[in-house]
Amino acid sequence: MNIDLSEEALAYGTSAGQAIESAGGDRLLLAAEEDPRQRESQYGPVLAELGAWELDPRGDGDDLEAAAALCRAAGYRAVAYPLAERLARPRDLDVDGLIVVPDRGPASAPVAGLPLRWAAVTLRGRRSLVTGARESGPPRTAAFAATLDLHGTDLADGAGDAALGLVLPCWTLLGLLDRAIDLTLAHVKVREQFGQPLSAFQGVQFQLTEAEVERTGLDVLAKYALWSIQAGSREATQDALALRMAALEAAEVVFRAAHQLHGAMGFCDETPLSWLSRYSQPIRRAPFGLSATRALLAERIGRPGARAGGDR
Amino acid sequence: MGPGAAALRDELRQLVRDHVPRDYLGAFTDDPADLEIAQRFCRTLAARGLLCLAWPPEYGGRGASPWEQTVVREEMWAHHEPRGAQYMGVNWVGPAIMRHGTADQKERHLPPIARGEVIWCQGFSEPDAGSDLASLRTSATPLPDGSGWSVHGQKIWTSYALMAQWCFLLARTSAQQRKQQGLTVFLIPMDAPGVEVRPIRAMLGPHHLNEVFLDGVHVTRGQVLGQVDQGWKVVQEVLAFERVGIARYARCERLLLGAPRVLGGQWESLPGELHARWARMLTHCRRARLLAYRVIAAQSAGLVTPGDAAAYRIAVTRLDQDSAEVLMEILGLADLADEGDGRWWRREVEDHWRYAQASTVASGSIEMQRILLAREMLK
Repeated sequence: MNIDLSEEALAYGTSAGQAIESAGGDRLLLAAEEDPRQRESQYGPVLAELGAWELDPRGDGDDLEAAAALCRAAGYRAVAYPLAERLARPRDLDVDGLIVVPDRGPASAPVAGLPLRWAAVTLRGRRSLVTGARESGPPRTAAFAATLDLHGTDLADGAGDAALGLVLPCWTLLGLLDRAIDLTLAHVKVREQFGQPLSAFQGVQFQLTEAEVERTGLDVLAKYALWSIQAGSREATQDALALRMAALEAAEVVFRAAHQLHGAMGFCDETPLSWLSRYSQPIRRAPFGLSATRALLAERIGRPGARAGGDR
Repeated sequence: MGPGAAALRDELRQLVRDHVPRDYLGAFTDDPADLEIAQRFCRTLAARGLLCLAWPPEYGGRGASPWEQTVVREEMWAHHEPRGAQYMGVNWVGPAIMRHGTADQKERHLPPIARGEVIWCQGFSEPDAGSDLASLRTSATPLPDGSGWSVHGQKIWTSYALMAQWCFLLARTSAQQRKQQGLTVFLIPMDAPGVEVRPIRAMLGPHHLNEVFLDGVHVTRGQVLGQVDQGWKVVQEVLAFERVGIARYARCERLLLGAPRVLGGQWESLPGELHARWARMLTHCRRARLLAYRVIAAQSAGLVTPGDAAAYRIAVTRLDQDSAEVLMEILGLADLADEGDGRWWRREVEDHWRYAQASTVASGSIEMQRILLAREMLK
């Protein structure tokens, strides 16, 4: 059983991370925060250079893994751009990307200020086009989230679209958590209180391990959900929901520990943790938060004939 | 809570309705008008004898019961602390001066605090002295001419420093065997030569946190609070005044209770589990409130233990963060109008989420509370 991405995908993720770093890395986010309308010109070229828009994750298994690795690398560098949403675009529609939206209630996504065309799909496969995106607030508080206006059309059923649309943002979130943990490890090794580094305190070590168990658990579930899509499994959407639930739970534990162990420093604009934490919010809130994701998952697993996953 | 408490609560709510705009989210925003609202509100409270309600009458207070003080703390925090930074002066700077101050210090500092005219900041934490406060390095070196000390050092995370007129500063006056010894409290004006404040932008919002640089600030014996080298004792007392701290549960409860009303018909269609989490948070609000009341009762009877206070602090700071998550999820599922109650509730919830992230770090980290509680349990 292979529970890691292919070597090619991992290598692609590494070089993508380096490319984003050379293009400005974290500084791009700060610039985008100053002027959200610059996001396309800041991130677009570097992602195009990486061949992001030539990837065909819905048609090719290798490209799917590459897309996942790219999202993770982008999350690690706090790339403030709806990369996962763009990579999830449906093959049969002339749009730039796909946003998963709830069956009812408001739809939102971190697409504020971007000149792109979006399709939306619900878990049941109801498709629509995004006709307007109203910024929910300034980037510092809304993190580029926009409320979407949707226009239902006679588009073909998109029941198969949603799984990838849910899974790729979880890979981005995984990258954000990787970085939050790395930053925290670095901090607790150098920050001294009571005459020793914070890392020497068992209470600190335990918080780190709680975070790591969540992160590593998310890592394997993310790969599992990817495999489920690759294999064309009829449980792919259900597996994507299971992944999303684990991702939201992990994000809460990891960011809580990371903030706690950074102390006041972690809230300051000059520390990357504060950006990661704020920009993880749109992924964690939309299309469904933790309770809604759990309810949707339970509803699907609970259907007669459904399989809860595991021994396949 | 005693006969006067309910009437006091009503009075405070009416004052908030009359004097605090609906969209007020605290005094420390980018809009200077918000600070002015807080300053005005403090003067309004002071004029009615409500600002330093708990102070003895000789210092301008009403000698109110701890329960009336609790009502004030709850109502103010629930409504985004319209006293702004002044709660510090009222809650602990004033009482510390009453207990340790000279007649001159009392005369100089207490009346302006009681009138709501002055903002204090607390110069405790330093870059290398957070939880381990006694390791602080800011030094006060005696001047050869005997006219006082020269203070050098750096403070950090100093709330309100940019707007404060005075600082309650802890500095090292001598090297002693125990690091808790040799510390002294100074009351220094923020416009003294050598004091420089730099704001730190942070996700809590602008103007919350600052660095304070002290470069040869001249302080005199008249500015020492208590005894030279005995500052740790004063600080321990100050921290004891703040055992219950801000009534975080009151804002959590107000926002949670507001959700069904603001969502209207949409409330019923939220996932059942979210309703359950919401109900659980309300129960945790009640639990935190009762734990606070137990500490207050014990404190009044002189029986409070650090462990009781720590258990409450752990419960209430976690409540703050857990309820922020539940509120944000409710917000994410709600289709709210961009006006009226829906708009204000959205802004309040978003603000609460960011602010709550720091609650297990601010005013004594949760780790320190856990150590205190465990020490008490294992005694």
